[in-house]
Amino acid sequence: MAANATGTAASVGAIAVPGRAPRFTKTRAFRAVRSFAVFLAIWWAVAAWVDHAIQLPSPGRVATALFDLAASGELFEHMLISTTRLVIALVVSVVLAVPLGFFMGLNATANAYLDPLVELLRPISGIAWIPLALFIFGVGDVLPVFIMVYVAFFPLLLNTIAGVRNVDRKLVNAARTMGVGRAAMLRKVIVPAAFPTVMVGFRLAFAGAWAAIIAAELIGSPSGLGFAIEWYRQLLMSPKVFAFIAMIGLIGYLCDVGLRALQRRLTPWAEGTGI
Amino acid sequence: MTTATASVNGTAWSRVLQLTLVPLVLVVVWQLWGMFLASDERTPVPSRVITTFFDLVANGGLIGALLQSLTRVVVGFAISLVAGTTLGLLMGSYPALRDSLDPIIEAFRPLAPMAILPIVLLWFGTGTPAATAIVTYAAFFPLLVNTVHGVSRVDRKLVQAASTMGVPRPSVLMRVVLPAALPSILLGARLSMGIAWTAIIAAELGVGAKSGGGTSGGIGQMMFVFYSYSIDLNAIVVCMIVVGVVALLIDRLFRIAERRLMPWRQ
Repeated sequence: MAANATGTAASVGAIAVPGRAPRFTKTRAFRAVRSFAVFLAIWWAVAAWVDHAIQLPSPGRVATALFDLAASGELFEHMLISTTRLVIALVVSVVLAVPLGFFMGLNATANAYLDPLVELLRPISGIAWIPLALFIFGVGDVLPVFIMVYVAFFPLLLNTIAGVRNVDRKLVNAARTMGVGRAAMLRKVIVPAAFPTVMVGFRLAFAGAWAAIIAAELIGSPSGLGFAIEWYRQLLMSPKVFAFIAMIGLIGYLCDVGLRALQRRLTPWAEGTGI
Repeated sequence: MTTATASVNGTAWSRVLQLTLVPLVLVVVWQLWGMFLASDERTPVPSRVITTFFDLVANGGLIGALLQSLTRVVVGFAISLVAGTTLGLLMGSYPALRDSLDPIIEAFRPLAPMAILPIVLLWFGTGTPAATAIVTYAAFFPLLVNTVHGVSRVDRKLVQAASTMGVPRPSVLMRVVLPAALPSILLGARLSMGIAWTAIIAAELGVGAKSGGGTSGGIGQMMFVFYSYSIDLNAIVVCMIVVGVVALLIDRLFRIAERRLMPWRQ
């Protein structure tokens, strides 16, 4: 997004001089640090003005809480629990959704019959399943995993179907003309051509699952990051609440950066196609 | 979708069959399973779900809860619409502002709406303001990001032409940049309304679960009460279906609005 920032009204004056390294004050890292410094300063000032350690702890207190939680190992314990659930849920939904997506993408009849069911279930958000799933699975490990699998399933399935169906017909016909068999066609033509779209689906699935796990753990689990933020809220230990929230944001951010990098590595041929 | 089904179906009847067969079979299997195999009296089955639906509509509870949730969503969405598009227009037109705010926004954007629930509970208590605050937060980012994206792709020649002809800066923003960015903004609005509807259910569920129930109202709260107090699974399924139908209606409504407001995009 930052790359096309130049197409706007006010950027006319800022013409880059070619052949010269950007000044230090123009680099992205510097700007990010500057922005966060201002953000922290405002937070600190507001916290000092509010002067209520439970309502709004100062950044310093939150940093101390974060350090304490890391030192006691509690932070990593909850992180490990949540990320394990996340990984299990993503693996399960990939195993369920991707083969089904290939099947529905390749078989128009199956798609015509199954698509209505998908479209009926899809509008019911994963969150809305929480009360029923709580009754079925009880409070514990299964509930967050179930909710995440449900949330991750649809973007993966729909993107796989779209990816398979949008495979260039010419490629398929060319391969067929040259006598490529069904298995080789799937492995050498359709899977590589559909893979970039599946990766997009996986990124959406991750984002949805990471949002859903917080809700699921907050309401129906005795462990994990979602549980931790609400637990410390009830104990009115706000610095720890803020520290855990920061960790939730950080993990989400880092995973997204990692998935983008993975996407570039795994599907370099999809670069520049807008996805 | 249409090309594939056209090659499969022959008549309108086979299309109807395709649309209804699998869902109908599942409903029948569910009904039979509930009647003969399920050991628990409370097991939801389609017939009981339907009667529960009419009961809940008749006693007004469902409609009231739905209206309360929708009101919160609309209020939260309206706040985000104003804040998100205004900030988006400014960030899209002033790169300096955008460069400064981008890192903060990118840091907060991946943070799930439910993650701020504890803070919201500390600040606003367990009533309508808390639920509305979460919706506002959830709806804000898609609107902002899509507005910035739309503005950054506005044809520069249009802006320069307007400036050359002496149109003042605020008018350029309102008369040139805003209409040109409208498709992106409307896409953002549709996405953010969908997210807002999910978020209100989550917020009401969460607030209900953590405040002992009964204080916040709304359809999410209603579901939690059915789960933890009356243990009425049929009613929970009714609520789930209603939530899904509303999500579908919201999506359709925004798509219709997009077609109406931008007929040139057909």
